[in-house]
Amino acid sequence: MLKTTKDIEDMTKAELLEHLNETVRPEEGSVPAYVLADPKVYELEHKKVFMKTWIFIGHESEIPNKNDYMLRDLAGYSIIVSRNADHSIRAFYNMCTHRGMKLCRADKGNKATFVCPYHGFNFKNNGDLIGVPLQKNIYGEELDKSTMGLKEVRIESYKGLLFGSWNDEVEPLDDFLGDFKWYLDILVGRAEMEVVGAPQRFVIHSNWKIGADNFVGDSYHTMMTHGSIAKLGMVPSATYSKMGYQIHSDHGHGLNLGTPNPDFAFPEELKNEFKANLSEEQYEVLSSLKNMIGNIFPHLSFLISHTKVKGQLISNTSVRLWRPIDADKMEVIAWFLVEKNAPEDWKRRSRESFVLTFSPSGIFEQDDTEVFTDITAAAKGHMPAMKGLTYNYTMGMHREPVEFVGPGVAYDDKFSEANQRNFYKYWLDLMNG
Amino acid sequence: MTVEKMLANYEFEQWLYKEAQLLDDIDFDGWFSLMHQSLIYQMPVRVNKEGTERPDYTADMYCFDDDIELLKLRVDRLKTDYAWAEIPPSRTRRFVSNVKLDEYVPEQKASVNSYLLLYRSRSTDIHHDLISGERKDEFTYENGQWKLSKRLFIVDQTTINTRNLAIFI
Ligand code: FES
Ligand SMILES: [Fe+2]
Repeated sequence: MLKTTKDIEDMTKAELLEHLNETVRPEEGSVPAYVLADPKVYELEHKKVFMKTWIFIGHESEIPNKNDYMLRDLAGYSIIVSRNADHSIRAFYNMCTHRGMKLCRADKGNKATFVCPYHGFNFKNNGDLIGVPLQKNIYGEELDKSTMGLKEVRIESYKGLLFGSWNDEVEPLDDFLGDFKWYLDILVGRAEMEVVGAPQRFVIHSNWKIGADNFVGDSYHTMMTHGSIAKLGMVPSATYSKMGYQIHSDHGHGLNLGTPNPDFAFPEELKNEFKANLSEEQYEVLSSLKNMIGNIFPHLSFLISHTKVKGQLISNTSVRLWRPIDADKMEVIAWFLVEKNAPEDWKRRSRESFVLTFSPSGIFEQDDTEVFTDITAAAKGHMPAMKGLTYNYTMGMHREPVEFVGPGVAYDDKFSEANQRNFYKYWLDLMNG
Repeated sequence: MTVEKMLANYEFEQWLYKEAQLLDDIDFDGWFSLMHQSLIYQMPVRVNKEGTERPDYTADMYCFDDDIELLKLRVDRLKTDYAWAEIPPSRTRRFVSNVKLDEYVPEQKASVNSYLLLYRSRSTDIHHDLISGERKDEFTYENGQWKLSKRLFIVDQTTINTRNLAIFI
């Protein structure tokens, strides 16, 4: 393996990029450890990945009514996402155009105008500056309010999932999601879905890519890391996690689709709604779905999990963002979604199973966080780069894709690292962009 | 305050200290035996509200939402060889204070408010986590003992600064 002759710290941007291109070799099944913890890689990633692509900001159901708003983070910047009087959703940088004060500080609420705490400028939730205290008196006729609206953020949505981007040239969301939409239909388009409550938030001392890597294709760890779940009888056996397909598409997206399932994982009462929203092929996949774990590039992971809780089978659906705070730190933000028209008892049990399995106290999740933390700690500092330490991503390289009813590149069981290779390939493309 | 209520307040303080000790000593079975069959064990997600409107936590999303059966499952899980989040166990120290007895019916039921500051240290990590919050507890008297029948833990952070809640609050 290539060894670093120069400290990454002393590299120019061009040198760092060259070094990345020499050492990040997903096609050969090799990714260097330093990409998980190096501050310079993190900084470049912020510019080349997070400032360039689509970033998840929430679900439309979180702001269902006129003038509802929510505060979200877009690549490190606070934005106000609000539903206007005409029911359209718009987003603005949460910064007053007078002197830059943060306009809004609540997680969510309902209001049509935002008043700046510094000098009292008023902004409508369509971004317009509509009021300036004592305007005539202190500015005369000179102030042109029409040029002082809030900075609008480009947003687009797919089946209720809202994404924003700071990149004016970003491709349409539809193209970015591409083939992956077929699977997102099953995840969030199968029925009218709604977010329940506020998202869970907690901090892990982990690089964000470990979470993405874990969800994009790592079902292999289930046997070991989540061994306790099989022991408790919540899943059939430790090896059930191998059964199904591993699928990826362009732009680094990927998922593991667990199948077959002798039981229908979703509310029976909604079969007609599912059928109406899905193609015949998609419905077939839904009908025999055991679980679905994946990642929309870069860091929106999702999950449908079907387990036995208190002797009764139940599924839960969630999406989670591995929001980077630093090279070695991230905030996990997890939203629980449920079929809006499901029976109340089903909704309650589904939420219960989500909290029990995937939340800060989740008995699946908590064991993952331990692993993520230790991997990050071991990747830190000069040594891993100096010694050329790498991770092995060769699993399944000997295998050929199979025919699958949905689009993308599919393999006929989940124990492969093709999805992670696809993730890092696109990541490297963007870093070079 | 009547002397009777003062004594009862003291009794619940001692109960909470004992509970803290059992948890910090990782005696989860001992701790579990303090729970009542009708237990509701909840920790709602705290949120940032605009002003002083309260409660400032969600009524429909939780970090813990357990009944006695699910709590038992957590305790049992910690005894499997695969509960990595707590292998080896965190060193925890639970500081319980501001114990205030509200409703009190001798040998029947009681509701008690208290503050909790939980220190957590893992392995050789020099970081420590602090979890602070308020407990709103309810107790039911059974077979000569006070058992915890409801706990609502209001955490003081909207983003929880610990990697997981593989520990009890
Ligand atoms: S900074 Fe907002 S009104 Fe002056
Ligand atoms: Fe996991």
